[in-house]
Formats: sequence, C-alpha cells, structure tokens
Amino acid sequence: MRDIDSSLARIRNAWMAGRSALEHCPVAWRDGTSGDGGECALIALTGHATAVLFRPAPPAPIAPRPLLPALAFPTVPEGARPRLRRLLARKNGASLERSLIDLVTARGFAMHPADWMPSPRDDWAPDLYAPWLDWVRAESKAAPASDLTLENYDQWSWAERRVELAALRQRDPAAARAIIAAKAATEAAERRVKLIEILENNLSADDAEFLATLAKDRSERVQALASAYLARLGRHSDSDALAKELAEMLEVGKVGLVTRRTQLVIKPLKNATQNTRRRELFKLVSFSNLAQALGLSEQQLLESAPAGVEDGIAEFVQMIGATGSDEARRLLLDRMVHDTDFPFAHARWLGPRLTPTERRAVLSPVLVRDPNLFETTVVLMGSTLGEAPISALEKSPGYAALESSIASVLEADDKTRTTIEPMLESTLNRVALLADARAAAELISRVTSRGLSPADPRLELLHLNAALTQETKP
Amino acid sequence: MALTRGAIEAMAPDQSALAAASKLLQPAKWPARGRSGGLIWGECQGSGANPYRVVADTADPGSKCTCPSRKFPCKHALALMWMFVEDESAFKAGDVPDWVNDWMGRRRKSGGGAAQSGGAKSLDAARAEAAESAPDPEAEVRRKAASEKRAQDTRRSVLAATEELEIWIADQLRTGLTSFLGDLGGRCRRIAARLVDAKANALASRVDEMPSRLLSLSAEERVDAAIQELGKLVLLVRAWRANPDEPELRREVIASETRDDVLANAESLRVTSRWEVLGERIATRRDGLVSQTTWLMNVGPGPQRFAMLLDFFPASAGRRAGAFVAGERFSAELAFYPAKAPLRAVIASRGDPEKASADWPTAGDDPFADHAEQMLVAPWRIDAPLLLPEGRICADAAGRAWWRSNSDMWAPLRDVPPALALGASIESAAGIWDGARLSLIAAQTNWGTLGFDA
Repeated sequence: MRDIDSSLARIRNAWMAGRSALEHCPVAWRDGTSGDGGECALIALTGHATAVLFRPAPPAPIAPRPLLPALAFPTVPEGARPRLRRLLARKNGASLERSLIDLVTARGFAMHPADWMPSPRDDWAPDLYAPWLDWVRAESKAAPASDLTLENYDQWSWAERRVELAALRQRDPAAARAIIAAKAATEAAERRVKLIEILENNLSADDAEFLATLAKDRSERVQALASAYLARLGRHSDSDALAKELAEMLEVGKVGLVTRRTQLVIKPLKNATQNTRRRELFKLVSFSNLAQALGLSEQQLLESAPAGVEDGIAEFVQMIGATGSDEARRLLLDRMVHDTDFPFAHARWLGPRLTPTERRAVLSPVLVRDPNLFETTVVLMGSTLGEAPISALEKSPGYAALESSIASVLEADDKTRTTIEPMLESTLNRVALLADARAAAELISRVTSRGLSPADPRLELLHLNAALTQETKP
Repeated sequence: MALTRGAIEAMAPDQSALAAASKLLQPAKWPARGRSGGLIWGECQGSGANPYRVVADTADPGSKCTCPSRKFPCKHALALMWMFVEDESAFKAGDVPDWVNDWMGRRRKSGGGAAQSGGAKSLDAARAEAAESAPDPEAEVRRKAASEKRAQDTRRSVLAATEELEIWIADQLRTGLTSFLGDLGGRCRRIAARLVDAKANALASRVDEMPSRLLSLSAEERVDAAIQELGKLVLLVRAWRANPDEPELRREVIASETRDDVLANAESLRVTSRWEVLGERIATRRDGLVSQTTWLMNVGPGPQRFAMLLDFFPASAGRRAGAFVAGERFSAELAFYPAKAPLRAVIASRGDPEKASADWPTAGDDPFADHAEQMLVAPWRIDAPLLLPEGRICADAAGRAWWRSNSDMWAPLRDVPPALALGASIESAAGIWDGARLSLIAAQTNWGTLGFDA
C-alpha cells in the first residue's frame, strides 16, 4: 500500500506541474499505459485507484453530540404532522408558531423535532421543551436526582433550573424566593429578569423585602419589574405628587339607580399636550397610589367599569395590568365582562396575569362579550387553548360574524373577496385555537356545509385541532 | 360555477390543448383518480419517469399539474376535468391527499383560473381530430430510415469528438492541473461546446457540469477530484468506442432512450416490489435544464436495490411540484434502463399507496467496499447510492458535518444537515457517494424517518 501511495503522490505532483507522470507509473500498470494515450490511461487508473483505495477521515477526532432527549409528552400523531408543517411554513398573515406550540402542548403532545425545535433564544417555549432548549444551547448538564436547592443550583441547566424554580415557587414560595434572592445577582440581566418573573406566581408581602433590594439593580428592566411587583403589593415607589396630578385629570362619579356605585370617568382633556401628559402619568403612577390620591379604596374605584375616552380607558386597564393587585385586576375583569357598554377589547391587557384556572373560569362570558372575531378571547386565554365547547363558541358575536363572512366570501366578486378573505382566515384560525377537539370537528362540518371546501387551507388549523385528541395518542 | 363541457372549452388555452387532452382520456393512463367535495385529482403517466399529479377544483375552477407545460390549464388538467364531466363515478371518493392540500394552501385564485383565449374550441372536434390521426405505414418506414441514417452520422461525429476529448485531457495534463483548475470554467465550456456540436450531448453535459462539482470541494481536494473526473471520462469514452451500441454507454455519451424504448426493451430488468420514496433532488444544470430525480428503494422481499426516476424539463417552465412525497410507499413494477448496475428506471405499473410502514433492508457493514465493487462494474459513474449502516452525524470544529458509522467509518456530508440529525441515532441511511462527499437523502432514526432536503 505504501508503494502505491508514494507512486500516486508522485504522479499527482507531476501532473500539477505539467510534467509527464509515466515514469512514476506503478509496475503493475505499465502494460496498460504503454503506447499512444498512455498518459490518459494512467489518469484513468490513478483516478480509479484514488477513488476506491482511500477512505475519508476527519482531520481531528470528532465526538458526536448527545442524543436529543425525549420529552415527557408523546409526539404529535404522524397523520397530523403534514398539516402542522404547512401551518408553520405559512407565510401570509401573522405567524402561528407560538399559538400552535401552545395548542399542541395543551393537548398533551410534543412537536416532532423534525418539524420544529426551539431556537436558543426561545425562552417562551413551554416548560415541556426545557430539555430541547438545553440541547440546542449545547448545555449538557445532567439534572441532579434531587430537587433544586441553593447548593445544587449551579448543577442545573438554565432551562431546567427555570422549570424547577417555577415548580418550587408553586409549592413553596419562600424556598423559591430564597434561592432567587441568593442567586439572581450571579445571572446576566436578561436571565435575572426571567428569575424575578417567577416571583409573579404567588406574589405576597413576604416578597417585598427582596424586591425592594432590586431598586438599585444594574438593569433598568429588573428595577421596573421589581417596582411593578411592589406596586401590586401596595408598596408604591412612585411619587404622590404624580398620583395627585393624574387624579386631577380624572373624574369620579356615581352610577346605578338603586345601588349607587363609584365610577371612574376619563374625559377628554383640553388639548393634546394634556392628553399626552395623562398617558405618561398612567405609566408612572401605580394603581394603589392613584386610588389613594382620589381618596378612594381600590375596591371603591372598581365598583364599576371605567367610562370615558377609549384611549384613557386602555391606559387605565394597562395600569392595573402592570401594578394592580390580584384582587384589583379580578374586580376590573369582572366589571368589564358584565358592563355591556364597556369596550371589551381593552380587557386584553389583563390577559398576561390570568392563571389557567382564572382563564377557564372566564372563557364562556368572555366569548359572549368578545366583539373582535375571537381576538380578545385568544389574547386573554394565553396558552390555555383548545378548551372551548361548541356551545360557548356559538354564543360569541364572532361566530355569527364567521357565518356571515363565509357567505360573503362565497358570493363576493374577486375584488371584494380579496378584502374579506384575510378576515375569514384569521377568524377561522382564532376559533380553531379556542375550540376543543369536538367543537373543531363540529365547526368543520358546519362551515363545509355552508360551502367551504373540506380541503380549504383556511380549515387546516381546525383539522389539526380535531386530530389532536387523546384517542390519537400512541 | 359548476364544471361543464362548456366551461372546459372556455378555459382551454387553445384547440390543440383539447386535442392533446383527448388522447389522455383512456383510464389506463390514469392509475389513480379521486374526489372529495368539489376537488378532483389524479395521476397521469406521461412521457417522463415521474407521473404527473393533477388536481382541479370543480366548484371554484382552478387546476394544477406537476408537468412542465407552459400552457394553462395543461392537457393533463383538461383531460382530468373532461373525464370527470363525462363520468363522475370513475373518481373514487376519499380523503384529500396531502399533495392536494399542499396545492390548496399555495393556490392563488385568479378569477376562475381560466385562461380565456380567442377562437372556437370544442371537445367534440378535439376527439374527432384525435380519432382521425391514424399512423401512416409508409411515412413510418421513411421516418425509420431517416432515423437510422441520423444515428450513423451521429456515431461518426461522436467518435471523432471522443478522440478529441482524449487529446484535450492529455493537453490538460501536459499544461498542468494547477493551470487547468485555474481556468476550469472556460476550458470545460469550450470542449463541452465542441462535444455538443458533435452530438455527444450527454458527454457535453457531464463535462459542462464538472466545474461546479470540483468547485464545491475545498481547494486541497480539487486536484484528486479532477484526476478522478478526467480519469472517468477516459474510461467512458474508451468503453463507448469499444462498444458503441451498448445502451448504457450510449446513454452516458449521446442521449438516453425514451420511456417507451425502455418499456419495449425485452432485456430491461423488471423488478416488482414494494418501493419507498426516499426523497427527491432537483438541480438546475448549466444547459438550462432542470433535473428532477426521485430516489426509490425496495422495502419488499428480495435483495436491497435503489431506483432512480429521472426527468428533465426546461428551467423556464418554473418551479415544479414533486411527483411524490418522501416516505410514500407503493407496490410497483419498475423497468430499469439496461445497465451493468441498473439504477435508472421508469414505473411500468403501480398499485395503490400503502399506509403500513416497512423496515428498510439491512445495510452491509462496509458500504464503501460495496461502492468500490459497483465502481469496478461501471467505473465511469460519477456517483452511486449507498445504504449506510448504524451511525451518527457529527459536526467538526469548522461546522462541517460528517456521517460516522458505529464501526468508525467516516464520510463528509455535502450539505448542512437538519438540526435534528446531529441529535439522532441513525439506524440506517441512504445517500449518494461521489468519492468526496456524501449527499444524504433519508435516514431511519430513533425519531422516525428523517429527510435531508437538498
């Protein structure tokens, strides 16, 4: 083998330089390379020998990566995967990625990694995917066999650590806070924010002391988050003067013939400068401080849904979403649901703070009140998707609008159709995210009986929803 | 708007499209026809190796066909709709296949999809026209004689061209491979043009594509790869000169047979088995043609075998949807183009798709030894498919991916693999090995079958 190696190397060098290589021809090849065309015969033999004699090998040893871990849920049924891939690849309209992942997870399935894997920055991915996040980030720490403690904190990968801390916060808030308080400073600002966010669950007065220490954190985002949590606990750090200034831009009236209830009225101000200032103040002042400045308790201020200009109402709701206590935001949502005059779309600002239990409790009344083709409901439901029965969906104004837009699309000319079709598609997608599997199947039956083709791509998400049932689990 | 004969006449681009469609009305040309709601679909075996998949919406007229025709609707779509208006019952009601759903998702509606054009168009006239076009025996004799004369002329000019190609190869060695690699595109283009003039079209294409194959490698690999490429050319032209009637060599040097030639050839290898679609490769060539290769592997009884369904169409025809979906399985009789190691094939007959999964055949321990054996049989081949045993995909420090067998054989991958490949245990993999790079097509992994889209 060494002889042929060195012959081939000499032949190669000769040809690179433009010299004849026949003198380097191995003895065994001489008969075949004599006579006219000898150089061509030699290249045929050399080429073939090079192709079959040598095996490729990497220049340095390479170790394979660890295997992608299996997840706790089974993967999506094989038959549903083509639909999922089409939906993920869809380029028109808003991306469905997060909603799809949430729906699939809510149904107890995991994505197939050939169809979707989180990117290293996808911290939004459901906890289920923590092992994959570790894998894509090449964090190969094996989680300790015991629970997360202060001592073994560093032995956990970032994704698994967050999941464990969230679970610990649920069952033992003080223990989770102690670990976060001890370790937050060792994390980068972006991760510090994520750790502090864990405290939102079961937030209590016991957390106030630690949150107060974050007032001088290096990160403004951490400072703002801690300040908002403190405000929810009634410990506002904003100035009383600002609260007073805001209170002077608002009015408090009374409504109700029998039971007189307090109502905040947000009237238009005299000029744009004043309106802009009020908008700023809603962001700077906490809800508890505003109530105090108005001389009311939080409960009194929320005896009825606020009234007035839409922008002002939206800013007030956002203020409660950020700094209102749990009780305040519960009261406000309740008022919004029951006051039919209230512009319900603004309820969306309370969505991020609802717990899954609260979301399920308000699903039916929210559907009845949602005027925006299921959009507000989808926002309020967050990741609690795929649970609405057909009886609740058909009571929503969105359902009637859906039926009428199908009729419009089928009857419209091409020009009109291009404006109605996107609306129909987004409505169908939203209702598909909300419906339970039985409702999804029923909706497919209803809309196809009204004229849509069963293969209409706008029904893909409904078909997917209907296919994600317990019966399809392996 | 319901589909009627009048609607088909209105949407046909011209009378000749209807006449062409009328020749496709025999059920034998349509191995599969289905319907669901207002959708109808079917597969039509045309002149290519891959069948054409045709779908039409009868409720909101529109259609799509995987054929490369520039006419819209094409003759296949017109024929499908025509058969439907004449006999709806011949279309089997069933679930909408995924490829139909794919089309629906990408469909652009354009006011009924009909390409209205002037001139009277009639289905009846088209059918009558087709019936009248009976073959003329005398014209057939004249055509055959002219064809034989052309073949003799071609052989003479190709013979001269192959001798010129050998001289050209010797010239490249004489002036040095360093210089050759420095002016690769220009030199190959010039000799390829001479080969085209001499009607050695297949050989010309191969030489014309050589620069892109060599330039896809690192600079230090190019010299050895150039030696292999030039050496294979010598082997090919000498083999052809020794046996110019050999179908495989003629195909590699001049042009390939038609589908009908292969089906009519009693010496063509016929294999009836269950086949799995491994994947598809689409490549645009320098000569303006797009090659579409569908890779199949038998998953039924019998020795492991690959098959390649190869079609060409003009790049100007636009992007074409695949004929099959990776992972599909069906029973079929394939007719292979005659060759020492048969690989290219056409589908002679096909059964219904199979839903049951099938295990892949067991791969040999040393795929490169098998490859070397194949290269002894047909040493001019540029590449050949391999079935690889258990292993992993790894990435080196530079990010280049490698396949590694459990027995520590290595092969660098041509393309960046999907992220999952680096975290999956490869139970078996199918790929194309060209001596320098491995192009994986599909792999069976602990996560199921994984496609490597190129």
